[in-house]
Amino acid sequence: MLNITNLHSSIEGKQILKGIDLKVNAGEIHAIMGPNGSGKSTLASVLAGKPEYEVTEGTAFLDGKDLLDMAPEERAREGLFLAFQYPVEIPGVSNINFLKTAITEIRSHRGLPELTSKEFLKLLKDKQELVELKSSLVNRSLNEGFSGGEKKRNEILQLAMLDPKLAILDETDSGLDIDALRIVASGVNKLRTENNAFVIITHYQRLLDYIIPDFVHILYDGRIIKSGTKELAQELEEKGYDWITQHETGTV
Amino acid sequence: MKQGLYNNFYKYLVDSFDKKQAALTYIESANLTEKRNEAFSIFKELGFPTRKYEEWKFTSLAAALKDELQLMIEHDHSLINTNRIHSLDAVHLVLVNGRFAPELSDVLPEGITFYDTQATMAEIRFEDKISTLATEDDAPMLALNTAFFTEVSVLEIAAHAIVEKPIHVSHVFTVNDIAEFVPYRMLVIAEKHSEATIIETFHSDSLVHPLFVSYVCEQEIHESAILNTHMINTLPENAYFVQHREVFQYRNSVLNNSNIALSDVTLLRNDLNFQLKDVGTETNLIGAYILTGDQHVDNHTLVDHQSPNCNTNEVYKGILLDTSHAVFNGKVFVRPDAQKTNAFQQNNNLLLSDQATVNSKPQLEIFADDVKCSHGSTIGQMNEDALFYLQTRGIGEEAARKLIMQSFIFDVISKIKIESLQDYVSDLLNKKLNTENLTVA
Ligand SMILES: Nc1ncnc2c1ncn2[C@@H]1O[C@H](COP(=O)(O)OP(=O)(O)OP(=O)(O)O)[C@@H](O)[C@H]1O
Ligand SMILES: [Mg+2]
Repeated sequence: MLNITNLHSSIEGKQILKGIDLKVNAGEIHAIMGPNGSGKSTLASVLAGKPEYEVTEGTAFLDGKDLLDMAPEERAREGLFLAFQYPVEIPGVSNINFLKTAITEIRSHRGLPELTSKEFLKLLKDKQELVELKSSLVNRSLNEGFSGGEKKRNEILQLAMLDPKLAILDETDSGLDIDALRIVASGVNKLRTENNAFVIITHYQRLLDYIIPDFVHILYDGRIIKSGTKELAQELEEKGYDWITQHETGTV
Repeated sequence: MKQGLYNNFYKYLVDSFDKKQAALTYIESANLTEKRNEAFSIFKELGFPTRKYEEWKFTSLAAALKDELQLMIEHDHSLINTNRIHSLDAVHLVLVNGRFAPELSDVLPEGITFYDTQATMAEIRFEDKISTLATEDDAPMLALNTAFFTEVSVLEIAAHAIVEKPIHVSHVFTVNDIAEFVPYRMLVIAEKHSEATIIETFHSDSLVHPLFVSYVCEQEIHESAILNTHMINTLPENAYFVQHREVFQYRNSVLNNSNIALSDVTLLRNDLNFQLKDVGTETNLIGAYILTGDQHVDNHTLVDHQSPNCNTNEVYKGILLDTSHAVFNGKVFVRPDAQKTNAFQQNNNLLLSDQATVNSKPQLEIFADDVKCSHGSTIGQMNEDALFYLQTRGIGEEAARKLIMQSFIFDVISKIKIESLQDYVSDLLNKKLNTENLTVA
């Protein structure tokens, strides 16, 4: 589904991604872990098409289509979704109108008819229950005055509404208490199918106890230096990043 | 001579004053004639304002004051689009080129009386009101209006009258054959304990030749009266509109004003002055503008706190595209007697083109010590993070930009309490955003 090879990216002349290779198949869940500043959010932003990032080398394909050649909105319409580490507050844009606009755009791209207001509200109600987000929040301005946890749950609500092929969750677990974490995790598990895939960026094993990854990758200084299965995350939690970096420099 | 502009149109006006006055002497009071003479000598001396005047630093009238402008005389009322607002349940009063058109207007409900020019001139009570609220020492454009206005009307809301239906005063201007100048005015008197809503729209379907409108509106809001006023400009290109508004507020009165410019008007200049004459008043001012092409909109507001315990709240927001120019000058004076004043003022602009200009100047002058005042002025660009966020949800860049602009302005429009009027203004907003060729630099 997602096929990244030798991806290099820089911002303001500073090289951040230094050759990423990653392959994600339909039905899989991949976790990406790594210390602060290692380039996790950069990878997510580059895939989503943030204009500030320059791709200097490498390719990224989603179901055979060249992601790097598309505008951010085209990537979204093709089925890419990014749950932001820091969701943006947009005063005056109502959450609900925004969702309606987004879903209409994406459906029209997929050749599906526009949802009637009734169908839309029904869908919204179902998905809202999935993430247990209060209606009062759904009716407010987009993320404005939301708590950290509410913003994250709103990201998952959007994910559920837009039904992407590939969802990247950038530290969706940070700032969530254990109850909210369970809600988010169970939401993701319910959204999971044979046909979609998830890339979960996190610092903690905690979330991975609820969403079991098929693969775990360690991103360090712009490269994936180690990949493994869910046991790798546990090992990392016990031994810390020093273990892995020493281990790596020792073997190379 | 001062540093004014003395062009051919100025000469034309100066030459025509005596003749115009001779025809009016029998109709108007000696009082008014005297005021006109005074105003005329002020205008004659100052000329049209130029950018050398402090109050006109950022607005030049030079391009608007065409040599071929003439005082409008013909008033053809046939085939007029009276600009009724769909779905707004209001009493419609139509002024065509400043003159009342009874055949196009509705009957007024109880508690409110309208006087056309003739009736106004005949009513002795108005004699010492017309042209006394607004005084022109330093204001040549106001002096020009006082000297030359031919039409004047009065709207009077009776004491204790609660007028439920909004009054829609529809100012319409006919398609013109020549470049025309229309100076006229209105007086609004809200007697004590009255409550009313006046919606003023300024409209012309299209203008072949330049139209220069000089409109003066004086308002008295007496004790405990509530007056809701709306000014909605839907004038097309080729219209130059200069308004002076002088409002006197008395004890415990409330004045709400919205000032909406989402049209294609070429030049708009508003001088909106609010004098808080007595204690406990409330003044809420909102404004919204989106400017495209070469449009120029200049809002000068002055809230003069002369008495204690008065509250002002002012929010103006605007978006600038292409080569447009917006000016906001918001003066708040707090006089020594005006203790316990609450004054809040804000002007926010989105500057979306390298070639557009904003001059925003909040001017707070406080001479009392026990007051709460704040002002803020921002000039920002498109929030790129917000734009990217919307795009990652599948919303196209152009649509995302419009969504952000729409929400920026809707923040102000949402404060309009009459739902059908809010819808009407939202439609103007959407029309401005969709039909215009938005080149966002
Ligand atoms: N706009 C920018 N300008 C310059 N440098 C940037 C910019 N954005 C990110 N960086 C740098 O790129 C590097 C990678 O940042 P990134 O946000 O991708 O890290 P991360 O792995 O997501 O970290 P965290 O775990 O803290 O979220 C950091 O050194 C950061 O300072
Ligand atoms: Mg990050």
